[in-house]
Amino acid sequence: MSVPLTLLGLLEREPSHGYDLKRDYDTYFGRGKPLSFGQVYSTLARLARDGKVVMDEVAPGDGPERKRYVITDAGATEVESWLAEPVEAEPHLQTVLFAKVVLALMLDRPAAAYLDAQRAAHLTRMRQLTEIRRKGALIDALLADHGLFHLEADLRWIDMTAGRLDSLAKLVRP
Amino acid sequence: MNAPADASVDVAVEARDVVLSFGETPALRGASVKVLPGEILAVMGPSGSGKSTLLHCLAGILVPDSGEIRFEGRRIDTLRENDRSALRRDRFGFVFQFGQLVPELTAEENVALPLLLGGVRREKALREARPWFARLGLDGLEGRRSGELSGGQAQRVALARGLVTWPRVLFADEPTGSLDSLTGEHVMDLMVCAAQEQGTTVVLVTHEPRVAAYADREVVVRDGRVTSLTPDRVPS
Amino acid sequence: MIRLGLRLATAGGREAVLRLVVIGVAVALGVGMLLSALAGIHALTAQNARYAWLNTGAAPSTVTGADPLWWQAREDYFQGRPVVRVDLAATSPRSPVPPGLARLPGPGEYYASPDLAALLRTTPADQLGGRFPGHPVGTIGRAALPAPDSLVVVVGHPPEEMAARDATRVSAIATADPANCARCVVGIDRDGMLLLLSVVSAAMIFPVLMFIGTATRLAAARREQRFAAMRLVGATPRQVSALAAAESAVAAVAGTVAGFGLYLLLRPAIARVPFTGARFFVEDLSLRAVDVLVVGVGVPVGAAVAAWLALRRVRISPLGVSRRVTPRPPRAWRVVPLLLGLGELALVVGHRPGSTDGQTAAYLSGFLVTMAGLVVAGPWLTMVGSRLLASRARRPAALIAARRLADSPQAGFRAVSGLVLALFVVAAATGIITTIIANRGAPRADSVAARTLTTSFWQNRVPEGQHRPAADDVPAALRSVPGVRHVYVVRANPAEPQVVLAPIGPGDPPPPEWWPGLISCAELSGTPEYGQCPPGARVVTVSTNLLLSGPMVAPLAGQVPVWPAVDLDPADVDRLPVISVVVDTDGSDAARERARTLLETALPLGSLPSTVAEDQSDFTRQLVQWQRLADVVMLASLPIAGCGLAVAVVGGLTERKRPFSMLRLAGVPLAVLRRVVLLESVVPLVVVAAVAIGTGFLAAHLFISAQMEYRLEPPGSGFYLMVAAGLALSLAIVASALPLLRRITGPETARNE
Repeated sequence: MSVPLTLLGLLEREPSHGYDLKRDYDTYFGRGKPLSFGQVYSTLARLARDGKVVMDEVAPGDGPERKRYVITDAGATEVESWLAEPVEAEPHLQTVLFAKVVLALMLDRPAAAYLDAQRAAHLTRMRQLTEIRRKGALIDALLADHGLFHLEADLRWIDMTAGRLDSLAKLVRP
Repeated sequence: MNAPADASVDVAVEARDVVLSFGETPALRGASVKVLPGEILAVMGPSGSGKSTLLHCLAGILVPDSGEIRFEGRRIDTLRENDRSALRRDRFGFVFQFGQLVPELTAEENVALPLLLGGVRREKALREARPWFARLGLDGLEGRRSGELSGGQAQRVALARGLVTWPRVLFADEPTGSLDSLTGEHVMDLMVCAAQEQGTTVVLVTHEPRVAAYADREVVVRDGRVTSLTPDRVPS
Repeated sequence: MIRLGLRLATAGGREAVLRLVVIGVAVALGVGMLLSALAGIHALTAQNARYAWLNTGAAPSTVTGADPLWWQAREDYFQGRPVVRVDLAATSPRSPVPPGLARLPGPGEYYASPDLAALLRTTPADQLGGRFPGHPVGTIGRAALPAPDSLVVVVGHPPEEMAARDATRVSAIATADPANCARCVVGIDRDGMLLLLSVVSAAMIFPVLMFIGTATRLAAARREQRFAAMRLVGATPRQVSALAAAESAVAAVAGTVAGFGLYLLLRPAIARVPFTGARFFVEDLSLRAVDVLVVGVGVPVGAAVAAWLALRRVRISPLGVSRRVTPRPPRAWRVVPLLLGLGELALVVGHRPGSTDGQTAAYLSGFLVTMAGLVVAGPWLTMVGSRLLASRARRPAALIAARRLADSPQAGFRAVSGLVLALFVVAAATGIITTIIANRGAPRADSVAARTLTTSFWQNRVPEGQHRPAADDVPAALRSVPGVRHVYVVRANPAEPQVVLAPIGPGDPPPPEWWPGLISCAELSGTPEYGQCPPGARVVTVSTNLLLSGPMVAPLAGQVPVWPAVDLDPADVDRLPVISVVVDTDGSDAARERARTLLETALPLGSLPSTVAEDQSDFTRQLVQWQRLADVVMLASLPIAGCGLAVAVVGGLTERKRPFSMLRLAGVPLAVLRRVVLLESVVPLVVVAAVAIGTGFLAAHLFISAQMEYRLEPPGSGFYLMVAAGLALSLAIVASALPLLRRITGPETARNE
């Protein structure tokens, strides 16, 4: 689960305070596992160090909680390429995929096209695994089968989600 | 990837802007696709999208309302019913989901059917059909009727029938749809092996990714049109 | 390709075999009947030729040779059976000899047919043998007999005796029908019978061909999945049609062979039925080589063509049937032709065309349009009937059956359409014939018309130099014959003759004042049925047989005439010549035959004595035979319709194999499914039969009212029994397909099919 990129995406939507960022993250992505403030601020600090966000003075004389973070062009570019680039097709990536879809909807990006690209990537990986299954040794074949089943599950989820994009968009775009 | 069966022909079958409606319901609204010789193409899409209809057009079973269908460069949608039947008999092979074996005939007669319909003498046709039984693991089942075969065995017999004439194109529509996963994998395995050996082009309609994974490439049919999942990659 | 077709046909399991058998049975029935009809046509022609020599006197050729033959042929009766009596005399040894005789019988000799010879041996002479002067010298050969059981006698006389009779001279024995048969003694209406048999032949083969078309179409629909699979791998539509038609053709070939066997089995029985009034010789009932060839080759070829044509409209697509399209329901306009036909017949009731041709045209067109109308209206009637059933159905079986019928009434009707025409024709014919017989048929055995024997002496039949007899010439022994109640001698009325032709009914004006005979009232009082004298009359003018009936006049039961009085003295009447002798018997055979024998021998110049019943018997015999023919047609058509239904039932079963299996698995009892299937076939069969028969009776009623002003008489129980038997046979055929239901809907059908 890529926390920095998720926070960066949220910031691209609108500049926010650290407190608001944590709240949004917990609402959309944190299900059962809320972020700690420490993690939020340390991530933001790292992002600032890398030049992807900058801090904005809002009210003089307040503590760190009153600082507002703004995304830079570099940060926006990073978000863009992250969204457009399909994730490596391997198991346990649905949370990442989910984040990408939600953010794409928030940011008014072509979520359906991203899903298609993901499908293509999955299928390519499945082709490779199928080749291994057919030609490789038994152990490799069993592992490949395992991977194939998971990839298939992912594709099923992609199909379902693709059918629900409209409803989801209404939810995340107030 | 396999070498194309016939290098001089750069497209095995193709559809150009095919439009087809069933009564009031449009099934294809300008579908175009090129199938390269020797490749295995998966045609995917949700149910009702028109992918089976596209396959039927490519195979000369249905004639589109407008658009062109070409086989090895020549138009086939303008041919008469008898000529298209002959094409299906001699140049194409078919493996569909169910109901294709003739119950009154034995398995080997079913496999030999396209040859028999083409006028080949009975003895010769059966001789050509028999080797397929060993090749597909159906030893000893030559004399059985379709009611006596399991699902997987029946599909393999259908596969043998589809390949017995050494067709240029094998059309498969949900070939594993009524089979369990293990049997289905086995059938797909055999299909791909045999097709690659013969250099047969395969057009495979399926909604299952695991089955589509056997193909070299996939296209998606949505709302009667053909799209590629990655527009900047292989042209559709 | 043919082998493939045969494999498909024979390897289809029990259902396919049943279909083949059913087609074979229907074809066998049709071919058997067709061959019988064809053989009947030949037998008819042969029998007609056999009658030829008996009518030699009907159109006497100009007497060219110097050796003419004196010839007189008449029809006598014995115990209700006709006896053909030929009296002849040779004028020289070279006079022509009739066939079947070794030589001409001389005076005091006669030849008798075998059956007559047997009768002569067993019957007392005063009842039969006494009529023929002399002794038998031989039997008439088979070649000369119209039927194996014909009663024929050829009596020899001296030429002078024949010259004193109403005889003609002929120089050759006739070998063919005369051009004008007004004076024919015996014979058959060959042209009429030929027409009838030809119509029957066509009527037999038409339902069979239609049935084959239906069966093939059903077979193709049933096999749609298989044929679709074959179309997918590249079979052309023509190849598929050939395969489907091959199955029917094979069954038709088998059926044709069986039909020949059936005909050979039936042949002796057919020969025994006197369709023309006389039986056939079995050897006359034969088929020519051309018949065998035409039927043996033509029927299978016709079947193949019918099958092919039926498939032309069936387009099997490579994808099989994915959606079931409900065909459009038949519209109400279909009833119009039927109403038109019946309406035309009804119109003729009031306004009958004047000429016979006009009448024939009116009736024929009315009947044909009605028949066509029945076939056209059938689907609509089926739909209406089934919708009614559906709305009133309370049990699930009836509901399912009714909905299905209402859904595709064309299919439901098509299975029984061949039946409609056959039943209509039979019902109409039966109605007409029964009514005619009731009104003009043979009177009862004990009625006055059956027991009164009359011999007449018409002036124009008495040859020159001869006179009508006087009262003394009537043999006295006649009155003492046991069983003879009275003997009346009727005198010739010297007044101007007027011809009485019209029938006399209750409301009609009284008969004219003239009848050919005269009798005194004193004499007439002996038998009340012979009429009464008006009060105060002494002499009345009467008919020659003392009855108000004759060949052309309908007998009126219970109508006792009051003869018109004539102003003459009874004593003067006694001096007039005799015009007829009327014998009132007790109705017993012995009395009648004795009286007849006495009269024939004593008064040879008179007409051969006969009763009114016997005179009319030929006509009614003919009608009864036509009725039998109609019954046979119906008995053969109903099973053919049953075959069509059986095929439809089986087709319907297999089409709904899956839904029925699911129903059974879900707990619906097999009996309910059986009821559904039965209802689906029983309802169209019974409804169509009822409508066809009802329309037939209606058409018959209209025809009779228009043409003969009678009212329709309901047919006897025999007709209803035949209908019931035919329906039962059809249903039995349908029921034989029901065991399939259990097998077809068993759990194993859910398997890999």
